[in-house]
Amino acid sequence: MAEQTYFHSIKVDKAKCIGCVTCMKVCPTKAIRVREQKAHINYERCIDCGECLRACPHSAIIPLTTLLSDLNRFKFKIALPSPVLYTQFGQQSMPSEILTVLKEIGFDHVYDEALVCEMMSVATEEYLDENRSPRPIISSICPVVVRLVQRLFPSLCGNILPLEPPREIAAKNLRSETAKQEELKAEEIGIIHITPCSAKMVSINHPESMAKSHLDGAISIREIYNKVMMKLKQEAGLLMMQTQTRISGVGIGWAFEGGEIRGLKYSNTVSVSGLLDTIRILEDVESGRLRNIEYLECLVCPDGCIGGPLTVENRFVAKSNVLRLLRHFGGKRRVNTELVQKLYKENFFSFAWAVEPKSFPPLDADRGVAIEKLKMKEELVGKLPGTDCGVCGAPDCQTLAEDIVRGEAKPEDCIYISRNESQGEKKWRKAR
Amino acid sequence: MKNRVLFQQEFEIQGGDFVNAGESSCKIRNTLREIGINSDIIRRIAIAAYEAEMNVVMYAQHGTMKINVYQDNILLIIDDKGPGIENIELAMKPGFSTATEEMREMGFGAGMGLPNIKKNSDVFQITSKVGQGTSLEIKILLNGKNG
Repeated sequence: MAEQTYFHSIKVDKAKCIGCVTCMKVCPTKAIRVREQKAHINYERCIDCGECLRACPHSAIIPLTTLLSDLNRFKFKIALPSPVLYTQFGQQSMPSEILTVLKEIGFDHVYDEALVCEMMSVATEEYLDENRSPRPIISSICPVVVRLVQRLFPSLCGNILPLEPPREIAAKNLRSETAKQEELKAEEIGIIHITPCSAKMVSINHPESMAKSHLDGAISIREIYNKVMMKLKQEAGLLMMQTQTRISGVGIGWAFEGGEIRGLKYSNTVSVSGLLDTIRILEDVESGRLRNIEYLECLVCPDGCIGGPLTVENRFVAKSNVLRLLRHFGGKRRVNTELVQKLYKENFFSFAWAVEPKSFPPLDADRGVAIEKLKMKEELVGKLPGTDCGVCGAPDCQTLAEDIVRGEAKPEDCIYISRNESQGEKKWRKAR
Repeated sequence: MKNRVLFQQEFEIQGGDFVNAGESSCKIRNTLREIGINSDIIRRIAIAAYEAEMNVVMYAQHGTMKINVYQDNILLIIDDKGPGIENIELAMKPGFSTATEEMREMGFGAGMGLPNIKKNSDVFQITSKVGQGTSLEIKILLNGKNG
Protein backbone atom coordinates (compact mmCIF):
# COMPACT_ATOMS: atom_id res chain seq x y z
CA MET A 1 0.00 0.00 0.00
CA ALA A 2 0.94 3.63 -0.46
CA GLU A 3 1.31 3.95 3.30
CA GLN A 4 4.50 1.93 3.20
CA THR A 5 6.10 3.44 0.12
CA TYR A 6 5.41 7.07 0.95
CA PHE A 7 5.97 8.40 4.43
CA HIS A 8 3.35 10.77 5.79
CA SER A 9 3.46 12.97 8.83
CA ILE A 10 -0.07 12.47 10.11
CA LYS A 11 -2.22 9.49 10.95
CA VAL A 12 -5.64 8.78 12.34
CA ASP A 13 -5.85 7.43 15.88
CA LYS A 14 -8.63 4.91 15.31
CA ALA A 15 -9.38 4.68 19.02
CA LYS A 16 -10.09 8.39 19.34
CA CYS A 17 -11.79 8.95 15.96
CA ILE A 18 -15.58 8.96 16.27
CA GLY A 19 -16.22 9.29 12.54
CA CYS A 20 -17.51 12.87 12.49
CA VAL A 21 -16.90 14.64 9.19
CA THR A 22 -14.85 17.64 10.40
CA CYS A 23 -11.46 16.59 9.00
CA MET A 24 -12.96 15.33 5.75
CA LYS A 25 -14.60 18.70 5.16
CA VAL A 26 -11.43 20.78 5.58
CA CYS A 27 -9.12 18.59 3.49
CA PRO A 28 -8.06 20.65 0.44
CA THR A 29 -7.20 17.66 -1.74
CA LYS A 30 -10.25 15.61 -0.71
CA ALA A 31 -8.00 12.86 0.62
CA ILE A 32 -10.22 11.82 3.55
CA ARG A 33 -13.24 9.51 3.56
CA VAL A 34 -15.22 8.31 6.55
CA ARG A 35 -15.89 4.59 6.35
CA GLU A 36 -17.42 2.52 9.16
CA GLN A 37 -17.30 5.53 11.47
CA LYS A 38 -13.57 6.12 11.10
CA ALA A 39 -11.65 8.63 9.04
CA HIS A 40 -9.32 7.16 6.41
CA ILE A 41 -6.59 9.17 4.73
CA ASN A 42 -5.82 8.39 1.11
CA TYR A 43 -2.08 8.89 1.22
CA GLU A 44 -1.82 9.23 -2.57
CA ARG A 45 -3.78 12.46 -2.30
CA CYS A 46 -2.53 13.76 1.07
CA ILE A 47 -0.13 16.73 0.95
CA ASP A 48 0.52 16.82 4.72
CA CYS A 49 -0.87 20.33 5.16
CA GLY A 50 -2.14 19.55 8.67
CA GLU A 51 -5.58 21.12 8.19
CA CYS A 52 -7.20 17.94 9.54
CA LEU A 53 -4.91 17.99 12.55
CA ARG A 54 -5.92 21.58 13.24
CA ALA A 55 -9.64 20.91 12.78
CA CYS A 56 -10.17 17.60 14.60
CA PRO A 57 -12.28 18.21 17.74
CA HIS A 58 -11.25 14.86 19.24
CA SER A 59 -7.45 15.07 18.87
CA ALA A 60 -7.69 11.96 16.74
CA ILE A 61 -5.23 13.11 14.08
CA ILE A 62 -1.71 12.52 15.34
CA PRO A 63 1.42 14.25 14.02
CA LEU A 64 4.30 11.83 13.46
CA THR A 65 7.24 14.03 14.40
CA THR A 66 10.51 13.05 16.08
CA LEU A 67 10.42 12.61 19.88
CA LEU A 68 13.06 13.84 22.33
CA SER A 69 13.62 10.19 23.30
CA ASP A 70 14.59 9.40 19.68
CA LEU A 71 17.70 11.55 20.06
CA ASN A 72 19.61 8.89 22.00
CA ARG A 73 20.68 7.11 18.84
CA PHE A 74 23.03 9.97 18.01
CA LYS A 75 26.38 10.63 19.62
CA PHE A 76 26.26 14.37 18.94
CA LYS A 77 22.92 16.19 18.74
CA ILE A 78 22.41 19.55 17.07
CA ALA A 79 19.23 21.62 17.36
CA LEU A 80 18.31 23.70 14.35
CA PRO A 81 15.21 25.63 15.43
CA SER A 82 12.83 27.35 13.05
CA PRO A 83 12.83 31.10 13.84
CA VAL A 84 9.23 30.53 14.99
CA LEU A 85 10.62 29.07 18.23
CA TYR A 86 11.84 32.54 19.27
CA THR A 87 8.27 33.87 19.17
CA GLN A 88 6.77 31.29 21.53
CA PHE A 89 7.97 32.28 25.01
CA GLY A 90 6.66 35.76 25.65
CA GLN A 91 8.28 39.16 25.40
CA GLN A 92 11.06 38.62 27.91
CA SER A 93 12.86 35.67 26.33
CA MET A 94 15.60 36.49 23.84
CA PRO A 95 16.72 34.06 21.09
CA SER A 96 20.13 33.58 22.72
CA GLU A 97 18.45 32.48 25.96
CA ILE A 98 16.19 30.04 24.14
CA LEU A 99 19.18 28.56 22.29
CA THR A 100 21.06 28.17 25.59
CA VAL A 101 18.14 26.32 27.13
CA LEU A 102 18.06 23.90 24.19
CA LYS A 103 21.57 22.85 25.20
CA GLU A 104 20.26 22.09 28.68
CA ILE A 105 17.47 19.79 27.52
CA GLY A 106 19.60 17.35 25.56
CA PHE A 107 21.32 19.02 22.63
CA ASP A 108 25.11 19.32 22.36
CA HIS A 109 25.03 22.21 19.96
CA VAL A 110 22.54 24.76 18.62
CA TYR A 111 22.52 26.77 15.44
CA ASP A 112 20.43 29.78 14.42
CA GLU A 113 18.65 28.84 11.19
CA ALA A 114 17.78 32.50 10.72
CA LEU A 115 21.39 33.20 9.66
CA VAL A 116 20.99 30.91 6.67
CA CYS A 117 17.81 32.75 5.68
CA GLU A 118 20.03 35.75 4.86
CA MET A 119 22.15 33.57 2.60
CA MET A 120 19.02 32.29 0.88
CA SER A 121 17.88 35.85 0.12
CA VAL A 122 21.14 36.44 -1.76
CA ALA A 123 20.95 33.07 -3.53
CA THR A 124 17.32 33.69 -4.53
CA GLU A 125 18.28 37.05 -6.07
CA GLU A 126 21.08 35.36 -8.00
CA TYR A 127 18.61 32.80 -9.35
CA LEU A 128 16.05 35.44 -10.34
CA ASP A 129 18.73 37.53 -12.07
CA GLU A 130 20.07 34.56 -14.01
CA ASN A 131 16.73 33.05 -15.02
CA ARG A 132 14.34 35.58 -16.55
CA SER A 133 11.52 33.11 -17.18
CA PRO A 134 9.16 31.57 -16.19
CA ARG A 135 7.43 33.99 -13.86
CA PRO A 136 6.52 34.11 -11.07
CA ILE A 137 9.06 31.92 -9.35
CA ILE A 138 7.33 30.16 -6.45
CA SER A 139 9.08 29.74 -3.10
CA SER A 140 10.11 26.19 -2.15
CA ILE A 141 10.32 26.91 1.60
CA CYS A 142 7.01 25.33 2.56
CA PRO A 143 7.04 21.58 1.80
CA VAL A 144 3.25 21.59 1.53
CA VAL A 145 3.34 24.20 -1.25
CA VAL A 146 5.78 22.04 -3.21
CA ARG A 147 3.48 19.02 -2.85
CA LEU A 148 0.40 21.10 -3.62
CA VAL A 149 1.97 22.32 -6.86
CA GLN A 150 3.01 18.77 -7.84
CA ARG A 151 -0.50 17.44 -7.35
CA LEU A 152 -2.97 20.25 -8.07
CA PHE A 153 -0.87 22.54 -10.30
CA PRO A 154 1.53 20.14 -12.03
CA SER A 155 2.16 22.54 -14.93
CA LEU A 156 3.75 24.97 -12.43
CA CYS A 157 6.51 22.58 -11.29
CA GLY A 158 8.95 24.56 -13.45
CA ASN A 159 8.12 27.72 -11.49
CA ILE A 160 9.31 26.29 -8.17
CA LEU A 161 12.54 27.89 -6.91
CA PRO A 162 15.06 25.03 -7.34
CA LEU A 163 17.04 25.92 -4.20
CA GLU A 164 16.90 23.97 -0.94
CA PRO A 165 15.28 25.78 2.02
CA PRO A 166 17.40 27.27 4.88
CA ARG A 167 16.88 24.28 7.18
CA GLU A 168 18.45 21.91 4.63
CA ILE A 169 21.30 24.26 3.73
CA ALA A 170 22.09 24.85 7.40
CA ALA A 171 22.10 21.11 8.10
CA LYS A 172 24.30 20.37 5.09
CA ASN A 173 26.90 22.86 6.29
CA LEU A 174 26.64 21.84 9.95
CA ARG A 175 27.26 18.16 9.30
CA SER A 176 30.54 18.65 7.47
CA GLU A 177 31.75 21.38 9.85
CA THR A 178 30.82 19.45 13.00
CA ALA A 179 32.34 16.21 11.75
CA LYS A 180 35.65 18.05 11.30
CA GLN A 181 35.54 20.01 14.56
CA GLU A 182 34.36 17.21 16.84
CA GLU A 183 36.17 14.44 14.98
CA LEU A 184 32.99 12.47 14.41
CA LYS A 185 31.62 10.35 11.60
CA ALA A 186 28.85 12.09 9.68
CA GLU A 187 26.29 9.47 10.78
CA GLU A 188 27.07 9.97 14.47
CA ILE A 189 25.70 13.50 14.25
CA GLY A 190 21.97 14.03 14.63
CA ILE A 191 20.74 17.32 13.17
CA ILE A 192 17.21 17.98 14.33
CA HIS A 193 14.94 20.73 13.08
CA ILE A 194 12.59 22.23 15.65
CA THR A 195 9.39 22.67 13.73
CA PRO A 196 6.03 24.44 13.90
CA CYS A 197 4.43 21.84 11.57
CA SER A 198 4.54 18.14 10.83
CA ALA A 199 5.04 18.65 7.09
CA LYS A 200 8.80 19.03 7.57
CA MET A 201 8.90 15.35 8.52
CA VAL A 202 7.70 14.47 5.04
CA SER A 203 10.33 16.59 3.35
CA ILE A 204 12.93 14.91 5.58
CA ASN A 205 11.75 11.34 5.06
CA HIS A 206 10.66 11.74 1.48
CA PRO A 207 12.41 14.71 -0.16
CA GLU A 208 11.20 15.69 -3.63
CA SER A 209 14.42 17.27 -4.89
CA MET A 210 17.26 15.07 -3.59
CA ALA A 211 18.01 11.49 -2.58
CA LYS A 212 18.43 12.08 1.15
CA SER A 213 17.62 15.00 3.43
CA HIS A 214 20.47 16.62 5.38
CA LEU A 215 18.27 16.58 8.49
CA ASP A 216 17.77 13.57 10.75
CA GLY A 217 14.39 14.51 12.13
CA ALA A 218 12.06 17.24 13.25
CA ILE A 219 10.87 17.75 16.80
CA SER A 220 7.69 19.77 17.21
CA ILE A 221 7.66 22.99 19.22
CA ARG A 222 4.89 21.38 21.29
CA GLU A 223 7.13 18.46 22.24
CA ILE A 224 9.82 20.66 23.82
CA TYR A 225 7.69 23.60 24.91
CA ASN A 226 7.13 22.73 28.57
CA LYS A 227 10.76 21.81 29.20
CA VAL A 228 12.06 25.00 27.59
CA MET A 229 9.49 27.16 29.38
CA MET A 230 10.41 25.68 32.80
CA LYS A 231 14.12 26.27 32.27
CA LEU A 232 13.52 29.82 31.07
CA LYS A 233 11.53 30.54 34.21
CA GLN A 234 14.03 28.90 36.57
CA GLU A 235 17.07 30.56 35.08
CA ALA A 236 15.69 33.96 34.18
CA GLY A 237 18.48 36.51 34.17
CA LEU A 238 21.30 33.96 34.26
CA LEU A 239 21.12 32.93 30.66
CA MET A 240 21.94 36.04 28.70
CA MET A 241 25.64 35.69 28.11
CA GLN A 242 26.01 31.93 27.80
CA THR A 243 25.46 31.28 24.10
CA GLN A 244 27.36 33.57 21.82
CA THR A 245 25.40 32.83 18.72
CA ARG A 246 24.91 35.44 16.07
CA ILE A 247 21.25 36.11 15.45
CA SER A 248 19.82 37.43 12.21
CA GLY A 249 16.95 39.93 12.20
CA VAL A 250 16.30 39.25 8.51
CA GLY A 251 15.97 35.54 9.23
CA ILE A 252 13.70 35.98 12.25
CA GLY A 253 11.34 37.81 9.89
CA TRP A 254 10.90 34.56 7.94
CA ALA A 255 8.76 33.27 10.82
CA PHE A 256 5.75 35.02 9.36
CA GLU A 257 4.26 35.80 6.00
CA GLY A 258 6.28 38.16 3.84
CA GLY A 259 9.61 37.37 5.51
CA GLU A 260 11.12 35.97 2.37
CA ILE A 261 10.05 38.76 0.01
CA ARG A 262 10.93 41.53 2.50
CA GLY A 263 14.56 40.46 2.19
CA LEU A 264 14.62 40.61 -1.62
CA LYS A 265 15.74 43.56 -3.72
CA TYR A 266 12.73 43.14 -6.04
CA SER A 267 9.55 45.04 -5.27
CA ASN A 268 7.10 43.26 -7.61
CA THR A 269 6.71 40.28 -5.33
CA VAL A 270 3.66 38.79 -3.63
CA SER A 271 3.30 36.88 -0.39
CA VAL A 272 0.32 34.72 0.52
CA SER A 273 -0.49 32.68 3.60
CA GLY A 274 -3.23 30.21 4.42
CA LEU A 275 -4.17 27.16 2.41
CA LEU A 276 -7.23 28.44 0.58
CA ASP A 277 -5.55 31.68 -0.45
CA THR A 278 -2.51 29.74 -1.61
CA ILE A 279 -4.72 27.55 -3.81
CA ARG A 280 -6.48 30.65 -5.18
CA ILE A 281 -3.28 32.42 -6.10
CA LEU A 282 -1.83 29.30 -7.72
CA GLU A 283 -4.99 29.13 -9.85
CA ASP A 284 -4.27 32.70 -10.93
CA VAL A 285 -0.68 31.81 -11.73
CA GLU A 286 -1.86 28.87 -13.83
CA SER A 287 -4.16 31.19 -15.80
CA GLY A 288 -1.17 33.39 -16.53
CA ARG A 289 -2.49 36.28 -14.44
CA LEU A 290 0.67 36.90 -12.42
CA ARG A 291 3.24 36.96 -15.21
CA ASN A 292 4.46 40.39 -14.10
CA ILE A 293 5.30 39.16 -10.60
CA GLU A 294 8.92 38.13 -10.03
CA TYR A 295 8.54 36.05 -6.90
CA LEU A 296 5.63 34.46 -5.08
CA GLU A 297 6.00 33.46 -1.46
CA CYS A 298 3.31 30.98 -0.38
CA LEU A 299 2.98 29.54 3.11
CA VAL A 300 -0.01 27.32 3.77
CA CYS A 301 -0.39 28.09 7.48
CA PRO A 302 -2.33 31.23 8.43
CA ASP A 303 0.10 34.19 8.72
CA GLY A 304 2.94 31.86 7.78
CA CYS A 305 4.95 29.48 9.96
CA ILE A 306 3.90 31.19 13.23
CA GLY A 307 0.45 29.78 12.42
CA GLY A 308 1.79 26.21 12.23
CA PRO A 309 -0.41 23.53 13.82
CA LEU A 310 2.35 22.39 16.22
CA THR A 311 3.05 25.80 17.75
CA VAL A 312 1.84 26.73 21.23
CA GLU A 313 1.62 30.53 21.34
CA ASN A 314 -1.40 32.28 19.82
CA ARG A 315 -0.23 33.36 16.38
CA PHE A 316 -1.19 37.00 16.83
CA VAL A 317 0.88 37.24 19.99
CA ALA A 318 3.67 35.39 18.20
CA LYS A 319 3.53 37.96 15.41
CA SER A 320 3.81 40.78 17.90
CA ASN A 321 6.85 39.03 19.34
CA VAL A 322 8.48 38.74 15.90
CA LEU A 323 7.96 42.42 15.23
CA ARG A 324 9.60 43.27 18.54
CA LEU A 325 12.58 41.04 17.72
CA LEU A 326 12.84 42.64 14.28
CA ARG A 327 13.09 46.06 15.90
CA HIS A 328 15.76 44.75 18.23
CA PHE A 329 17.98 43.00 15.67
CA GLY A 330 17.29 45.23 12.69
CA GLY A 331 16.37 44.12 9.21
CA LYS A 332 19.74 44.65 7.57
CA ARG A 333 21.53 41.82 5.82
CA ARG A 334 24.98 41.14 7.26
CA VAL A 335 25.88 38.06 5.31
CA ASN A 336 28.98 38.01 3.08
CA THR A 337 27.33 38.51 -0.33
CA GLU A 338 30.38 37.54 -2.36
CA LEU A 339 30.80 34.27 -0.47
CA VAL A 340 27.16 33.38 -1.06
CA GLN A 341 27.48 34.23 -4.76
CA LYS A 342 30.48 31.92 -4.98
CA LEU A 343 28.59 29.11 -3.22
CA TYR A 344 25.64 29.71 -5.53
CA LYS A 345 27.87 29.26 -8.59
CA GLU A 346 29.12 25.99 -7.09
CA ASN A 347 25.45 24.85 -6.86
CA PHE A 348 25.72 24.59 -3.08
CA PHE A 349 22.05 25.60 -2.71
CA SER A 350 20.63 23.82 -5.77
CA PHE A 351 18.12 21.00 -5.89
CA ALA A 352 19.74 17.74 -6.96
CA TRP A 353 16.87 17.32 -9.42
CA ALA A 354 13.79 19.23 -10.49
CA VAL A 355 10.49 18.70 -8.71
CA GLU A 356 8.34 16.36 -10.84
CA PRO A 357 4.59 16.66 -11.44
CA LYS A 358 2.47 14.12 -9.53
CA SER A 359 -0.98 14.69 -10.97
CA PHE A 360 -3.94 12.85 -9.50
CA PRO A 361 -5.01 9.95 -11.73
CA PRO A 362 -7.75 10.76 -14.29
CA LEU A 363 -11.14 9.05 -14.00
CA ASP A 364 -9.73 6.29 -16.21
CA ALA A 365 -6.41 5.58 -17.90
CA ASP A 366 -8.18 5.26 -21.24
CA ARG A 367 -9.35 8.68 -22.41
CA GLY A 368 -12.51 7.36 -24.06
CA VAL A 369 -13.53 5.57 -20.87
CA ALA A 370 -12.58 8.62 -18.78
CA ILE A 371 -14.91 10.77 -20.89
CA GLU A 372 -17.75 8.26 -20.46
CA LYS A 373 -17.13 8.27 -16.70
CA LEU A 374 -17.11 12.07 -16.68
CA LYS A 375 -20.53 12.08 -18.36
CA MET A 376 -21.80 9.52 -15.83
CA LYS A 377 -20.40 11.66 -13.06
CA GLU A 378 -22.20 14.77 -14.31
CA GLU A 379 -25.44 12.83 -14.55
CA LEU A 380 -24.98 11.59 -10.99
CA VAL A 381 -24.26 15.09 -9.69
CA GLY A 382 -27.67 16.10 -11.06
CA LYS A 383 -29.32 13.33 -9.03
CA LEU A 384 -27.51 13.98 -5.77
CA PRO A 385 -29.03 16.60 -3.46
CA GLY A 386 -26.12 19.05 -3.58
CA THR A 387 -26.25 19.63 0.16
CA ASP A 388 -22.69 18.35 0.70
CA CYS A 389 -23.71 16.88 4.05
CA GLY A 390 -20.90 14.31 4.19
CA VAL A 391 -23.05 11.54 5.66
CA CYS A 392 -22.13 9.26 2.73
CA GLY A 393 -18.50 9.43 3.84
CA ALA A 394 -17.32 11.68 1.00
CA PRO A 395 -16.70 15.41 1.57
CA ASP A 396 -19.30 16.63 -0.96
CA CYS A 397 -21.74 15.43 -3.62
CA GLN A 398 -19.26 16.07 -6.47
CA THR A 399 -16.69 13.85 -4.81
CA LEU A 400 -19.24 11.11 -4.06
CA ALA A 401 -20.17 11.13 -7.75
CA GLU A 402 -16.50 10.81 -8.61
CA ASP A 403 -16.03 7.95 -6.12
CA ILE A 404 -19.06 6.16 -7.62
CA VAL A 405 -17.75 6.31 -11.20
CA ARG A 406 -14.36 5.17 -9.96
CA GLY A 407 -16.10 2.19 -8.36
CA GLU A 408 -15.21 3.21 -4.80
CA ALA A 409 -18.72 4.07 -3.58
CA LYS A 410 -22.35 3.29 -4.39
CA PRO A 411 -25.28 5.67 -5.11
CA GLU A 412 -27.07 4.19 -2.07
CA ASP A 413 -24.33 5.62 0.17
CA CYS A 414 -26.24 8.89 -0.21
CA ILE A 415 -28.98 8.97 2.43
CA TYR A 416 -31.22 11.05 0.19
CA ILE A 417 -31.05 8.40 -2.49
CA SER A 418 -31.42 5.41 -0.16
CA ARG A 419 -34.32 7.08 1.65
CA ASN A 420 -36.07 7.90 -1.57
CA GLU A 421 -35.79 4.38 -2.77
CA SER A 422 -38.10 3.48 0.06
CA GLN A 423 -40.25 6.63 0.18
CA GLY A 424 -40.50 7.66 -3.45
CA GLU A 425 -38.32 10.13 -5.23
CA LYS A 426 -40.87 12.87 -5.82
CA LYS A 427 -41.36 13.82 -2.23
CA TRP A 428 -37.88 15.14 -1.52
CA ARG A 429 -37.50 16.72 -4.93
CA LYS A 430 -40.57 18.79 -4.09
CA ALA A 431 -39.26 19.64 -0.66
CA ARG A 432 -36.07 21.17 -2.10
CA MET B 1 -14.75 8.88 -36.69
CA LYS B 2 -11.79 11.16 -36.08
CA ASN B 3 -13.93 14.30 -36.11
CA ARG B 4 -16.53 13.05 -33.67
CA VAL B 5 -16.97 15.26 -30.61
CA LEU B 6 -16.16 13.05 -27.63
CA PHE B 7 -17.14 15.59 -25.03
CA GLN B 8 -18.64 19.02 -24.98
CA GLN B 9 -19.24 21.68 -22.37
CA GLU B 10 -20.68 25.16 -22.71
CA PHE B 11 -20.43 28.17 -20.41
CA GLU B 12 -22.17 31.53 -20.35
CA ILE B 13 -20.01 34.59 -19.78
CA GLN B 14 -21.56 37.83 -18.52
CA GLY B 15 -19.97 41.02 -19.82
CA GLY B 16 -18.79 43.36 -17.07
CA ASP B 17 -18.93 40.66 -14.40
CA PHE B 18 -15.42 40.92 -13.00
CA VAL B 19 -16.47 39.21 -9.78
CA ASN B 20 -17.04 35.82 -11.38
CA ALA B 21 -14.54 36.25 -14.19
CA GLY B 22 -12.25 33.28 -14.64
CA GLU B 23 -14.73 30.69 -13.38
CA SER B 24 -15.35 29.08 -16.76
CA SER B 25 -11.66 28.62 -17.49
CA CYS B 26 -11.25 27.10 -14.01
CA LYS B 27 -14.02 24.57 -14.68
CA ILE B 28 -12.50 23.69 -18.04
CA ARG B 29 -9.19 23.01 -16.34
CA ASN B 30 -10.80 20.60 -13.86
CA THR B 31 -12.63 18.76 -16.62
CA LEU B 32 -9.46 18.26 -18.63
CA ARG B 33 -7.65 16.91 -15.58
CA GLU B 34 -10.36 14.35 -14.98
CA ILE B 35 -10.04 12.98 -18.50
CA GLY B 36 -6.27 12.78 -18.20
CA ILE B 37 -5.03 15.55 -20.52
CA ASN B 38 -1.30 16.30 -20.10
CA SER B 39 -0.62 19.16 -17.68
CA ASP B 40 1.33 21.31 -20.16
CA ILE B 41 -1.54 21.20 -22.62
CA ILE B 42 -3.99 22.00 -19.82
CA ARG B 43 -1.90 25.03 -18.98
CA ARG B 44 -1.97 26.32 -22.57
CA ILE B 45 -5.72 25.81 -22.73
CA ALA B 46 -6.19 27.44 -19.32
CA ILE B 47 -4.25 30.53 -20.38
CA ALA B 48 -6.08 30.83 -23.72
CA ALA B 49 -9.48 30.25 -22.10
CA TYR B 50 -8.79 32.76 -19.35
CA GLU B 51 -7.65 35.49 -21.75
CA ALA B 52 -10.63 34.87 -24.02
CA GLU B 53 -13.02 34.89 -21.07
CA MET B 54 -11.55 38.17 -19.81
CA ASN B 55 -11.95 39.75 -23.25
CA VAL B 56 -15.67 38.98 -23.14
CA VAL B 57 -15.96 40.29 -19.56
CA MET B 58 -14.09 43.49 -20.41
CA TYR B 59 -15.56 44.43 -23.78
CA ALA B 60 -18.77 42.54 -24.57
CA GLN B 61 -22.30 42.37 -23.14
CA HIS B 62 -22.51 38.62 -23.23
CA GLY B 63 -20.72 35.59 -24.58
CA THR B 64 -20.45 31.82 -24.61
CA MET B 65 -17.43 29.58 -24.36
CA LYS B 66 -17.68 26.07 -25.77
CA ILE B 67 -15.12 23.36 -25.35
CA ASN B 68 -15.12 20.36 -27.68
CA VAL B 69 -12.86 17.43 -27.03
CA TYR B 70 -11.91 15.39 -30.11
CA GLN B 71 -9.70 12.35 -30.46
CA ASP B 72 -6.68 14.39 -31.54
CA ASN B 73 -7.45 17.97 -30.54
CA ILE B 74 -9.33 20.30 -28.25
CA LEU B 75 -11.33 23.14 -29.70
CA LEU B 76 -12.39 26.23 -27.76
CA ILE B 77 -15.05 28.41 -29.38
CA ILE B 78 -15.81 31.79 -27.88
CA ASP B 79 -18.63 33.87 -29.35
CA ASP B 80 -19.64 37.23 -27.97
CA LYS B 81 -22.21 39.91 -28.55
CA GLY B 82 -20.14 43.05 -28.28
CA PRO B 83 -18.62 45.98 -30.09
CA GLY B 84 -16.53 43.84 -32.43
CA ILE B 85 -12.97 44.62 -33.48
CA GLU B 86 -12.39 47.30 -36.11
CA ASN B 87 -8.87 46.36 -37.08
CA ILE B 88 -8.01 42.75 -36.26
CA GLU B 89 -4.42 43.10 -37.44
CA LEU B 90 -3.87 45.94 -35.00
CA ALA B 91 -5.64 44.06 -32.16
CA MET B 92 -3.26 41.14 -32.66
CA LYS B 93 -0.23 43.36 -32.12
CA PRO B 94 1.37 42.85 -28.70
CA GLY B 95 0.79 45.89 -26.50
CA PHE B 96 -2.15 47.27 -28.45
CA SER B 97 -5.21 47.76 -26.26
CA THR B 98 -8.45 49.70 -26.24
CA ALA B 99 -8.94 49.14 -22.50
CA THR B 100 -10.20 52.07 -20.44
CA GLU B 101 -8.21 53.72 -17.65
CA GLU B 102 -10.31 51.88 -15.05
CA MET B 103 -9.52 48.49 -16.58
CA ARG B 104 -5.84 49.30 -16.64
CA GLU B 105 -6.08 50.34 -12.99
CA MET B 106 -7.39 46.85 -12.28
CA GLY B 107 -4.39 45.33 -14.01
CA PHE B 108 -6.13 44.40 -17.26
CA GLY B 109 -5.68 45.72 -20.79
CA ALA B 110 -1.95 45.22 -21.22
CA GLY B 111 -2.60 44.48 -24.87
CA MET B 112 -1.38 40.91 -24.53
CA GLY B 113 -4.74 39.08 -24.58
CA LEU B 114 -5.09 38.10 -28.24
CA PRO B 115 -1.35 37.68 -28.88
CA ASN B 116 -1.19 35.40 -25.88
CA ILE B 117 -4.13 33.31 -27.04
CA LYS B 118 -2.46 32.92 -30.44
CA LYS B 119 0.83 31.97 -28.82
CA ASN B 120 -0.81 29.18 -26.85
CA SER B 121 -2.89 27.72 -29.67
CA ASP B 122 -1.91 25.50 -32.59
CA VAL B 123 -4.62 26.89 -34.87
CA PHE B 124 -6.19 30.26 -34.16
CA GLN B 125 -9.03 31.92 -36.02
CA ILE B 126 -10.70 35.21 -35.31
CA THR B 127 -13.67 36.77 -37.05
CA SER B 128 -15.41 39.95 -36.01
CA LYS B 129 -18.20 42.26 -37.14
CA VAL B 130 -18.20 45.79 -35.81
CA GLY B 131 -21.32 46.44 -33.79
CA GLN B 132 -22.21 42.73 -33.60
CA GLY B 133 -19.49 40.71 -31.95
CA THR B 134 -16.36 38.63 -32.15
CA SER B 135 -15.79 34.92 -32.57
CA LEU B 136 -12.63 33.00 -31.67
CA GLU B 137 -11.67 29.44 -32.53
CA ILE B 138 -8.73 28.07 -30.63
CA LYS B 139 -7.46 24.63 -31.51
CA ILE B 140 -4.87 22.79 -29.48
CA LEU B 141 -3.55 19.49 -30.82
CA LEU B 142 -3.23 16.42 -28.64
CA ASN B 143 -0.31 14.36 -29.72
CA GLY B 144 0.22 10.76 -28.80
CA LYS B 145 -1.38 8.81 -26.03
CA ASN B 146 -0.86 11.23 -23.17
CA GLY B 147 -1.35 14.48 -25.08
